[in-house]
Amino acid sequence: MKPIKPIKPILPLYALLVIGLPLAGLGYALLGSVGVVGPLAEGFTGQYWQALGHEPGLAYAALYSLWIAGASVGISVVLALLLVLRAQATLQRGPLPGLLYVPLVMPALVVAFYLFQLLSRSGWLSRISFRLGLTNSLEAFPELVQDAAGVGIILAHVLLTFPFLTLLFQAIYQESRLAELGQLTSTLGASARQFRRRVAAPLLLRRAAPTVLLSFIATLGAYDIPLLLGRPYPQMLSVFIITKLQRFDLRELPAAYLAGFLVAAGLLGLILLLLRLANRSRIEAG
Amino acid sequence: MLTVSHLSKQFNDQPVLRDISLTLAEGEVLAVLGRSGCGKTTLLKILAGLETADSGTLELHGQDLLPVPPNERQMVYLYQEPLLFPHLSVFENVAFGLRIRKVKEAEIRQRVTELLAELEMSEHARKAPHQLSGGQRQRVSFGRALIIRPRLLLLDEPFGNLDAQTRAAMQQLFGRVSRQHHITSIFVTHDSREALTVGTRLGYLERGRLTSFASVTEFVADARTNIAAELSFWENIRSTASPAVAE
Repeated sequence: MKPIKPIKPILPLYALLVIGLPLAGLGYALLGSVGVVGPLAEGFTGQYWQALGHEPGLAYAALYSLWIAGASVGISVVLALLLVLRAQATLQRGPLPGLLYVPLVMPALVVAFYLFQLLSRSGWLSRISFRLGLTNSLEAFPELVQDAAGVGIILAHVLLTFPFLTLLFQAIYQESRLAELGQLTSTLGASARQFRRRVAAPLLLRRAAPTVLLSFIATLGAYDIPLLLGRPYPQMLSVFIITKLQRFDLRELPAAYLAGFLVAAGLLGLILLLLRLANRSRIEAG
Repeated sequence: MLTVSHLSKQFNDQPVLRDISLTLAEGEVLAVLGRSGCGKTTLLKILAGLETADSGTLELHGQDLLPVPPNERQMVYLYQEPLLFPHLSVFENVAFGLRIRKVKEAEIRQRVTELLAELEMSEHARKAPHQLSGGQRQRVSFGRALIIRPRLLLLDEPFGNLDAQTRAAMQQLFGRVSRQHHITSIFVTHDSREALTVGTRLGYLERGRLTSFASVTEFVADARTNIAAELSFWENIRSTASPAVAE
């Protein structure tokens, strides 16, 4: 007779924490969005879903968030790729590798606050420009934070993401023996540019795809940076939802639940894609 | 065809290659035997243009190769590991050299398909490198080099990581394809049997000095190759085992 194995509670507890509770929250948000649960619930109704078509706020916040996340991660990826592919010697010695770790230990809110101090119209750069006579007044300084295009938010995310991606690309560069592949391709007749375009960049991007997508998801759902460096309108999704949830008017709650449900469902879809990419990357790496 | 004269190289005042001179005619395979750290890789890398020589000259068909960058030498350097491009299929790995030369698609299809058939890799054309065995990867690496019709192939212990059976098969394949395509190559190895199998000319590299042998007999007779000692070892085994078997 087989000995009965003691039930290990850690795995089920962890699964409950990372899958069970978020799914329960998602279910609660869905029920809240159809008026089944919540402080003023009056039974099933589809009115909040129907109102979605007339209320452009959520769609606009989603588009704005996609723009911010796409631009931030896109710029970070380009910067990191440029550094790893064009400045290998600098990355292997000198102070740069150490300096890349500095932003990683800084909390996002600190980076946002620092950029606010640096780039706002009453900030350091604006004052220096005014003192140097480059601008006529503090108001003449270009709007770099709390601006409509989200330049400040993007800058803060780039500052936090690009050093991390550079370190990741550099680790993949070494692990994939790209230096040797570079030598090999040159004897096959490829120029340095052809090596970067046809071998190095595709290889780095494929291997790093899961982490790049993870950075995109994290930026999409970021709260503290857009709260400090963003405008009341347009808002990023996280700020939009929290603002709705925290309103005194409890009748706004179902719409907030609906927004939360849609965003969480979208992010779950991205996470499923992430798992597929991570699996492919693991197989390719052997 | 290839003439190397008085080639020397040192790293941090440590001589790695000392006054290397050799000539190689078209279609010849120079097998260079040598132990680890004897300077084999440095010699090949200098020929490929991946390292610079401190002194000496290097000519191919009368052309001074030293100022020519590696991507214009048409001399492919093959590592011990196949180093396939992991993001490309077998077909695209082999086609790489043609794509960077902007060869027409129809010609790429025809040449790659023919070469894959020759290397017995047709059925694996769509596979990714991680789906292949060690020997198959080495075949693809070989095909990727052959497709550009290199003027000189430089092989740095290419079968060193393969098991004995696959290694023997690859040596046979290399010999057959070399003869068919009339490939000129320098094949470095630390295995005397491999040197004798693949080489049409033989050399021995020790502490950066190259000895060229005029015949197989000279190569076998040189104590440094250890072949005579190995033959005597097997002879002893046979003579001591024979009476026991007879009993």
